[in-house]
Amino acid sequence: MAIYLAKRLAASAVTALLASLVVFLLVRSVPGDVVGQMLGQTSDPVAAKALREFFGLDQPIWRQYFGWLARVLTADFGTSWTRGQPVLGMIGAALAVTIQLAFATLFLATLIGVPLGILAAMHEGGAIDRTVQALNLLGLAAPVFWIGLMLLVGVSSGFDWSPPLMYVPPTQSLFENLSIMALPVLSLALLQAAAYSQFVRQSIISALGQDYVRTAIAKGVSTRVIFFKHLLRNIAIPLVTFMGLILIQILGGAVIIESLFALPGLGRLLLSSIETRDYPVLQAGLLAVVVIAMLVNLAVDLSYRIIDPRVRLS
Amino acid sequence: MSKSGMPKSMLGRLSTAAARLRRQPDLAFGLVLLALVLLVVLFPGLFTAHSPLAINVDKAMEAPSSAHPFGTDDVGRDVLARVVHGARITLSICASALFAAAAIGGALGLVSGFIGGRIDMLLGRLIDVLLSFPPIIFGVMVTGILGPNTINLVLALTVVYVPLFFRIARSGAMAEASLTYVEAARSIGMSEPLVLFRHVARNVVPVILVQCMVLFPLMLQIQSALGFLGLGVQPPTPDWGAILQQGKDYILLAPWMSAFPGLAILVTALALMLVGRGLQRQMDRR
Repeated sequence: MAIYLAKRLAASAVTALLASLVVFLLVRSVPGDVVGQMLGQTSDPVAAKALREFFGLDQPIWRQYFGWLARVLTADFGTSWTRGQPVLGMIGAALAVTIQLAFATLFLATLIGVPLGILAAMHEGGAIDRTVQALNLLGLAAPVFWIGLMLLVGVSSGFDWSPPLMYVPPTQSLFENLSIMALPVLSLALLQAAAYSQFVRQSIISALGQDYVRTAIAKGVSTRVIFFKHLLRNIAIPLVTFMGLILIQILGGAVIIESLFALPGLGRLLLSSIETRDYPVLQAGLLAVVVIAMLVNLAVDLSYRIIDPRVRLS
Repeated sequence: MSKSGMPKSMLGRLSTAAARLRRQPDLAFGLVLLALVLLVVLFPGLFTAHSPLAINVDKAMEAPSSAHPFGTDDVGRDVLARVVHGARITLSICASALFAAAAIGGALGLVSGFIGGRIDMLLGRLIDVLLSFPPIIFGVMVTGILGPNTINLVLALTVVYVPLFFRIARSGAMAEASLTYVEAARSIGMSEPLVLFRHVARNVVPVILVQCMVLFPLMLQIQSALGFLGLGVQPPTPDWGAILQQGKDYILLAPWMSAFPGLAILVTALALMLVGRGLQRQMDRR
């Protein structure tokens, strides 16, 4: 186990290193730089040169990369070029919002999607199944930001309510925080619940055709026991993999939903730092996305062993 | 020859196709929807007499009526006309990016999977890194780098999709390369490029084509999301994502500005999903 973990972490580190290079090169190929943004059209060349030297932009690109990498390895992500705040703190604050959004979405999507998928599978081919499947297709086809917009219209005309515009952290006021997060979470969760229930339905239907289920039925085991003891344990592995995938997808969806609902999360931070060419923030933010995706995948693989003792990690 | 003048085998084929469709009502429904979308793309004039660009400030933000079934937007343009004329713009952007990505990613993946070795390992690693970015974030980065306009949007979407097609083609080529017929072709002295293009590619290309259909709805979602973020087609050109972006600020005053372009995306994505899945099922059955 320890050896496996060490190997996986080493492989992840190599991928992260490669990703850091890709991130760095991507960011540096954004046309224009922060100095142009700061000084505008009427820039005076002397000031521009001084600023570029200050930011290290006059150095050759490989030196900029290795300098950045060396500092990142000591957890020094630098200071935002446009806001003057430490990047690590900015990323941390934004991540807190996005992580809350992601886990709340995962929770709600599981709550809606899994029972629906089970229900559909249990009535395969029947009216309930067909209704659930039609709903799934609609959920998957609708653009997530459009669901968000329509929910806004719905709650404002139906309940005469609209979410507060300023973000409030849960530590300050849990109620206000939840009323801000409700619609973004719901819009993301509806899409993911559709994907979820489709997946659960398919897994159960294919598991139902397996020999062990037939044997259990032949032995006279009750439906409930077959379901909870045999089926659920067997679809747990694909389900966990799927949860990991969804978590990574939510990270992408968060970019759009955060900008629609004005949530100060990682997605919005990335968008604004592209606009202002704030390299340190952009690099750290993208790296955070890649590292999170990797950690999620690692957690998924590790959980296989807990779910199914037969799985040997090597 | 039969009475209708069609060769009999063709009639026979048509009737088996019809029988297949009857067994797959989802696919049939998807094809009907898709035909409707194609009709809108090819003949927008059939569906609206208004111009998508004509501004009429006196009629700004009018609710849907018989004169303007989808209402009007903040400068009095007809929303139906914008949605109808947007179909061609939005879908041609998606289709071009999809085919460019399938061609580039598919060719690279085929070659890489077929030769294997160190080049394949290196390329595979790089693709894995690119795939570790969620596609929307990747798309946002690339459009951010290239700057927002239509051609750059196509480029960005292509770049986002190349790794996906690379992976599909690569695993297809790897699986084919280990089959006996490849060995047989080699044993009779066929050159490697000939084996690859004449035999292996022929078996992998259909898989890639079906994946084009399967991945199309996702492409539409990403394309419209980028448009919604203001990173895609620029106003006043009617593109579904861009129309939604303009409607966002008036969402409570004029919800129809957003509702209908979103519905257009939904219906199109639904049609593409149904057709893509139906094709995949047909393919798996073989």
